[in-house]
Amino acid sequence: MITTFQNMIEACGSKAHLMRWSLLFAVLYSIAQGLAYALLFPLFSALLDGSDDVWWYLGGIVVLIVLDGLFRFGETRASWRVYIEVSDETRSNLGEQLKRMPLEQLARRQTGDLNSVLTGNVNDVVAIAGGLFAVVINTIVAPVVTILAMFFVDWRLAVVMLVLFPPAIPLYRTLRAHAAKETRISAEAHADTASHLIEYTQGLAVLRATRQVGPESERLQASLVRLREAQAKGTRLGTGPSLLMAAFVQIGILAVTALAVAFVLGDSLGVAAVLAVIVITVRFSEPLALFANLSQMFDFMEAAIDRIGELMAVQPLPVAERRSDGAADTDGSGAHVEFRDVTFAYDQGDEEVVRGVSFEVPERSLTALVGTSGSGKTTITRLLTRFADPQEGAITIGGVDVRGLSQQELMQYFSVVFQDVYLFDDSIRENIRLAKPDATDDEIIAAARAANCHDFITALPSGYDTGVGEIGGALSGGERQRISIARAILKDTPIVILDEPTSALDTESEVAVQRAIDTLVEDKTVLVIAHRLSTIVAADNIIVLEAGQIVEQGDHEALLGADGRYAEMWNAQRAERHWQITAV
Amino acid sequence: MDVVEERVDAGSEEVNEPGLWTIISPVNREIYTGMAVSLLSLVAWLGSIMLFLPIGREVMDDAPDSGRLWTLFGISLGLVVVSFVCRVLSFRISHLGAFRLEQILRTELTTRLARVPLGYVVNAGSGALKKVVLDDVRALHAFVADSTPLFAKTFAAPFFGAVLMFVLDWRLALISLALLPVGMIGMFFAFRDYDVARRKVDDANERINGVINEYVQGMHVVRTFDDGSGSFERYREALSDATATLREWTEKSQAGAFIARTLFAALPTVLVLLAAGIPMYRNGSLELPILVMFLLLAPTVTESIVPIVWLQQLITNAAASVKRIGQLRAVELMPEVSEGTPPADASVELRNVSFRYEGRDDNALTGVDVVIPEGTVTALVGPSGAGKSTIAQLIPRFWDVDDGQVLVGGVDIKEMTNDQLMSSVAFVFQNPFLLSDTIAANIRLGRPDASDADIVAAAKAAQANDFILEELPDGYDTVVSERGSSLSGGQRQRITIARAILQDSPIIVLDEATAFADPDNEAKIHRALAELARGKTLIVVAHRLSTIVDAHQIVVLDGGRVVESGTHEQLVANGQRYASLWSHFNEAQGWGLRTSADERSQSAPSAAAQTTSTS
Repeated sequence: MITTFQNMIEACGSKAHLMRWSLLFAVLYSIAQGLAYALLFPLFSALLDGSDDVWWYLGGIVVLIVLDGLFRFGETRASWRVYIEVSDETRSNLGEQLKRMPLEQLARRQTGDLNSVLTGNVNDVVAIAGGLFAVVINTIVAPVVTILAMFFVDWRLAVVMLVLFPPAIPLYRTLRAHAAKETRISAEAHADTASHLIEYTQGLAVLRATRQVGPESERLQASLVRLREAQAKGTRLGTGPSLLMAAFVQIGILAVTALAVAFVLGDSLGVAAVLAVIVITVRFSEPLALFANLSQMFDFMEAAIDRIGELMAVQPLPVAERRSDGAADTDGSGAHVEFRDVTFAYDQGDEEVVRGVSFEVPERSLTALVGTSGSGKTTITRLLTRFADPQEGAITIGGVDVRGLSQQELMQYFSVVFQDVYLFDDSIRENIRLAKPDATDDEIIAAARAANCHDFITALPSGYDTGVGEIGGALSGGERQRISIARAILKDTPIVILDEPTSALDTESEVAVQRAIDTLVEDKTVLVIAHRLSTIVAADNIIVLEAGQIVEQGDHEALLGADGRYAEMWNAQRAERHWQITAV
Repeated sequence: MDVVEERVDAGSEEVNEPGLWTIISPVNREIYTGMAVSLLSLVAWLGSIMLFLPIGREVMDDAPDSGRLWTLFGISLGLVVVSFVCRVLSFRISHLGAFRLEQILRTELTTRLARVPLGYVVNAGSGALKKVVLDDVRALHAFVADSTPLFAKTFAAPFFGAVLMFVLDWRLALISLALLPVGMIGMFFAFRDYDVARRKVDDANERINGVINEYVQGMHVVRTFDDGSGSFERYREALSDATATLREWTEKSQAGAFIARTLFAALPTVLVLLAAGIPMYRNGSLELPILVMFLLLAPTVTESIVPIVWLQQLITNAAASVKRIGQLRAVELMPEVSEGTPPADASVELRNVSFRYEGRDDNALTGVDVVIPEGTVTALVGPSGAGKSTIAQLIPRFWDVDDGQVLVGGVDIKEMTNDQLMSSVAFVFQNPFLLSDTIAANIRLGRPDASDADIVAAAKAAQANDFILEELPDGYDTVVSERGSSLSGGQRQRITIARAILQDSPIIVLDEATAFADPDNEAKIHRALAELARGKTLIVVAHRLSTIVDAHQIVVLDGGRVVESGTHEQLVANGQRYASLWSHFNEAQGWGLRTSADERSQSAPSAAAQTTSTS
C-alpha cells in the first residue's frame, strides 16, 4: 500500500507536488468528515440531557462540513490538474523516449502495444492518481479519525473497533492475490480468443470452403468455451474474497454495536453513545465494504506503471566521446562506408544473424546485397543506420565510427527507400517536406518533379495541399513510392539505401518508380537490397550473403565466372523469368 | 486499423439498430433473476437496518430487556447474512449470464460472418472484426454483469428507503426528499452544457489517441530522416492542443462536479435532519430512535444519485459497442438456395456483370462479359484498380453482382449451394493463410476426410514435402507458430497450394499467387502451381505479363471494363492497351540500377525476346 503510494507519486514526475497536494487535501477533508461524525457522540448526549449545548455541537458539524467542502474543492482542483498535467507530461516523455530508443528496440515492440502504453496505460495511471486515490484515502482515514475520537467517549469500544482493522489486512492481501490471478487468467483467455478470431476471419474463405464455420468451427468454438470457463473461474476467484471482506466488515460492525449495547446493559456506557455508534457504523460500513473492489484498481495502476517504466528504461545507444572541439574525426573519404568484422545477434546468446562481415563501399559506388530471405541483407543496412550496435566489429562512414555520431548527424548521411511507404495524415507537401523541414516550396516541387510525381500531384483536387488522409486509397502503391523517393531526393544525402523499392508494384507504376530511382541515385553512394538480380548487373560490387555470412563478392562478370552461389541464383532466375502458367 | 474500422462503421447509418436490450435479451432469465435476488439482498439489508429501531427503543427503555435485545441482534445478524448470500448469488448469476451472453453473441456473430459476403470480411479486416466480436461484446459484459445489481441499488433502494421514511415520520421524510430537487437543480445548472463540453473532451481525447497512433506508427520512418525531432514537434504540439482543451473543460466543469459531489454526500443530509429533528425531539413530537433511523436511511436515498451516474456511464460505454455489434448484425446475409443445381462442367462465364463496392460512387465493374471454357487458362490483366481482383473474387461469390450473372458450369452461382460452389472453385490468395495448427492439419483443411497419404502426396506435388521433412522439427506435426515466422513466405504459399491440390476443385482462381520473389522459392512455387493447374480451368490475375503469354485468353481491363481480349500475339498485334502494358513490362524488366539503355539489352535479355522465340 505504502509502496503503491510512493510509485504513484513517483509516476507523477515533475507534477508530484500536485499529487501531494491532492493527497493532503484528501486527508484533510477526511479528517473533517471523521470529526463531524465524532461530534454525534456529544450531540446525542446533550440531546438526551436536554442541554442547549446541542446547538454548539450542531454548529461544530456545520463548520466541519464547510471545511470538508473547502478541502474537497482543493482536492478536486488538484486531482483534475494531476489528471491532465501528468498524462500530458507522461505522454510527452514517452514520446521523447520513442525517438531516443534504439530502432531495433522499437521494431521489437508491436505498434499496437506501444499505442496501448501511450494511451491506455497512461490513462490507467492518471485516472487513479486523479481522484480514485482520494476515495481510497477517504474510505480509510475518515473512519479511523472517528474511532480515534471515540477514545474520549469510551476507550473500550475504540480499541475493539481498531482491532477489527488488522484482521482485514491478510484478507485484503489474499484478495489482491486472487484478483491478480483472475486478471491474468482472463487476459490469457482473451488473448487466446483474439488470435483465434483473427485466424477465423482471415481464413474464412478457406474455412467456408470446408464448412468449418460458425458452430462447426471447432478451433474457435473450443476457444470460446475455454474463455467462458476461464471467466467463470476468474469470477469465483475474484468475488469470493471480495464479498467475504464485505461480510466481515458488516458483521464486525454489528458486533461492535452489540458490544456497545452490552456496555449499556452493564451500565458502563450511556445510551447516547450507542445511538451514535449505530449511525456511525452503518454510515461507514458501505464504503469499507466496497473498499475491496477499489483495491483492484491498484493492480491496474501498478501494471500500467510497470509497462510505462519498462519502456522508459530502454537505454538509447550511447554516442562515443568526441574531440574537445566537438567535431568527429573524419579521414576525408566522404561517404566511404566500411564494415569490419561485424557480428550481430538480436539478443545475447541468440543466433548471430550477421557473422564476421567485412566489406567496403567506396564513395559514389553501387553495392548490392543479395541472398535468400533471412540471410542478413536487411540487418546489414539497418546496422549501417545504427538501429542497433553490433556485438563485434566496427562500421565506419568516412572513417568515423558510427557509434561516434548522434542520430541526427548519422541520418544526414542516409536516405532510405523501403518497400513499404508510410505517409502521414497531412498534405502531400508536408509529407515531402518531412525530409528537410526548412525546404522551400520550390525545392519541394523540384524534388517532386525529379521523382516523377509532379504530374499526378497537380492532377489531385488540391494539388500539393491535398491531404493524404482525404484520398487515402486513391494513391497507388507506385505513387506512394514516388512520394517517398521525392523525400529522399529532397534530403539529398551522400548515401542512398534501397530496400527492394519496386518489388510490390504493378508494371506501369514500376517503370515510373524506376525512373525516379535513376534520378535519386545519380552521384550517390548506393547500397541496394535486390531480389531481381537483373536490376543490379551494373553494380560495382555484389555481396552474396547466406546465413549472415558473405559467401562471395565481386562484380557481375566476376561472380558469373566464379560459378558459385551467385551464378546458381542468376541461372535459376533466368529460367524462372520465362516461366508461364499453362494448363497441361 | 483506423481506416478499417471506419469501413465497419460506414454505410449502416440508417439501419434500424437493435438496442442494447434486444442484444442482451438471450440472457433475460439471468438478468431478471439477478435483479430479483439483488432486490432480496436489498430488502434483507434494509430489514437489518430497521431492526435498529426496536434495538434503539429497547436500549432507551428504563428497564431494557436484554433477552429481547440479543434476539433482535440475532435476527439482524441473520438478515445481514441473508443479504450477503443474496449479493453473492446475484453477482454470480449476473456474471455467469454475462459470460453466457458473450459466448452466444460471439457464436452468432462468427456464424453470420460466414454467411455475409466474404468481400465484406476481407475489406473490414480481421483486426476490426476481432474488435467487434471480442472487445465490443466484452464491453456488453460490464453492462449486463454490473448494472443488474446496480439497478436494485439505484432504483429500489431509494424507493424502499422513501417508503420506510414516510411510514416512520412524514415530516422528516419530506425534508429529506426536499434535498433531492435542490440537488437536482444544482446539478442541472452545473451540467447545463455538459453534453457539448463532454463532446469537446471526447474529441480532445480522440485527437490525443489519433496523434499517438500516428506518431508511433510513423516512428520507424521518421527516424530514417533525422532523429525524429520533427515528428516529435508535431506530436508535442497536437498533445498540447488537446491538453489545453481538457484544461479549459475542467476549469468550467469542476464547479459543477464539486456541487454535485457535495450536495449528494451524506453529511449535508445528516446536518439537515439534525437541524430539523432536534426541535421536533425537544417538543416531544419525535422519538430519538426514529431520528436515528432517518440518519441511517436518508443518505441512502440521496446517495443513490451517484450509482445512477455510474449506470448512465455503463450505458454510454456500451452504446458504441452496441452500435458496432448492431451494424455487424445488419450486414445482409447472402441469400443461399437450399437445394442448388450442380454445375454441368468447369466453365465460367460472366454475363454483363456490373458491380459496385458498398459506399463507393463508381462501379468497380461495368458490363463485363467474359467466357472461360473448361480446361482453359484465362489471364486478367490491367493497371491497379482496373477490376482484375474484383472479377477473381466474384467467381467464388465473395460478393454478389449488382447486375448480370456469374455462371459456373452453366449455372448462376446464386442457384448453387455454398458447398456446390466451393467444391467447384479453389482460390489461392496472394497472402497465404495458415491456421496455427500442425502442417498436416493445415493441408487437410482442403479436404477434411483426406488420409495421411493423401496429404503427403499433395505436399509432394506442391514441392513442400522436402522442406517439411528436412527443415521442420516435427515434420508434418510441426505447429505453425501464430505469425508463421518459422516459415518463409514461399513455404507458406506452397502449403496453401498443397491444400488446394488436395481440394482438387476443377476451377482454380490465382490472385497474384507468385508475388514471392525469393529466387529459390519462386521456382518451387512455379512448379507447385503447374501441378495444381494440371487439367483445370485456370483464372489468373497477373502482374508479370511474361507468366501469361501462353494463356488461351488474356482479358485486358481498364476502369472496370473489358477493353480488349485475345491471345498474346493477337493483342500485341492490335497495338492497343495490352501492347502498351507489354512494352512497359519489358522496360521494367530490363531496368537495372545505373544501366544505360544499350547495356540493358546485352546483360539482361528481355523477357519478350525469349518468350516470343519459344512460343
